[in-house]
Amino acid sequence: MTKTGAERPDAHRPSEMLATLKRLGFRAVVSVPDGWLGELLVRIEQEPTMQLVRATHEEEALAIACGIRLGGVRTALLVQNAGVLSMGAGMVSLAQRYQFPLLMLVSYRGAPEDPVFYHIPKGRATEPVFTGLGLAHTRSDRYRPIGPQVEQAATYAEEGSCPFALLVSREDVQW
Amino acid sequence: MVKTAHPTRADYYKALAATLPPEALVVTCLGNASYLWAALHHAPENFYFEDAMGLALPLALGLAVAQPKRPVIAVEGDGALLMHMGALVTIGAVNPPNLTMLLIQNGVHAASGGQALTNAGLDLAALARASGIARAENLAKPEALGAKMRASSKRDGAEFLVLATEPDIEVVHPPVALDPIMTKQRFMAAIGAPRYIPTLFGGGKLEGM
Repeated sequence: MTKTGAERPDAHRPSEMLATLKRLGFRAVVSVPDGWLGELLVRIEQEPTMQLVRATHEEEALAIACGIRLGGVRTALLVQNAGVLSMGAGMVSLAQRYQFPLLMLVSYRGAPEDPVFYHIPKGRATEPVFTGLGLAHTRSDRYRPIGPQVEQAATYAEEGSCPFALLVSREDVQW
Repeated sequence: MVKTAHPTRADYYKALAATLPPEALVVTCLGNASYLWAALHHAPENFYFEDAMGLALPLALGLAVAQPKRPVIAVEGDGALLMHMGALVTIGAVNPPNLTMLLIQNGVHAASGGQALTNAGLDLAALARASGIARAENLAKPEALGAKMRASSKRDGAEFLVLATEPDIEVVHPPVALDPIMTKQRFMAAIGAPRYIPTLFGGGKLEGM
């Protein structure tokens, strides 16, 4: 039997990503914009159960997210990979030092499937720098539904008491 | 007795401790900002930074968003603010009425030995107002801080008070361990933050969610 689009768990990956955040009780998202994340951020802003805080810089966004989590609200950080490259000090001396569980959804610009060539240097540096920072991370798997991958990343962050970055592709977040 | 040009951090802290609103949550930046506050008014509702320079204000913003019914008071230094001035713009945009920022303006990087700032004379209150924080003022006396704290119960936005002080170069030895994990756990327990309930094989949630 052929499944209809509505029955397939990955019928629309960005919708499933947002629905998973809602189901898991995420009430706040802190972000710095990125071309891939843009539409998802608009949808989050329109979502009455979630608050979107827009920051000017990713290290600042990380600290805001730590503060929201400190206040007892489950929080996700949505940034581009370049932003993680520039938030290193806050990552190690605040988020990791104080063991804040934070779900990070990070657009993986400059990966081979990204057609925008000037992102390549950032893509090349991403995983080595994440490893150097001790930032637990994984790439999303395009052949599996995205919802369970978001849930696993969120669970890792909580169980490990640490930030965890899920590196997402364009199809994961673009409407 | 030596007469200093400005009050000391301790003078302002004593005024703050005497007028601290009930239920207040206090975030202090690195160095003496944390050490001295721990010496004068240690409480579970204090969140002490030990490093992460420039991130006390954005963390306090997040805390104020998550705990809108409790006053959040953040103590930041002028050098630290210059490292993340963008945070003022973000705070101006969100403008939570329960957030009060006390900016210690001593003109130097006190925690690293007293090196001059890039611009020690910058009008930080004017900078805050330009960033969207209408309630921003320069204060020169601890009594003025006390009066502000007593009057700050009902506001329509965040408050940013710049406190002119002498540099406190001598390191204060805090009377309690400022262990970061202990600080966080004690703080979250004190405010009744929901705990994470693990579920074997994944899928855990925050309590009550």
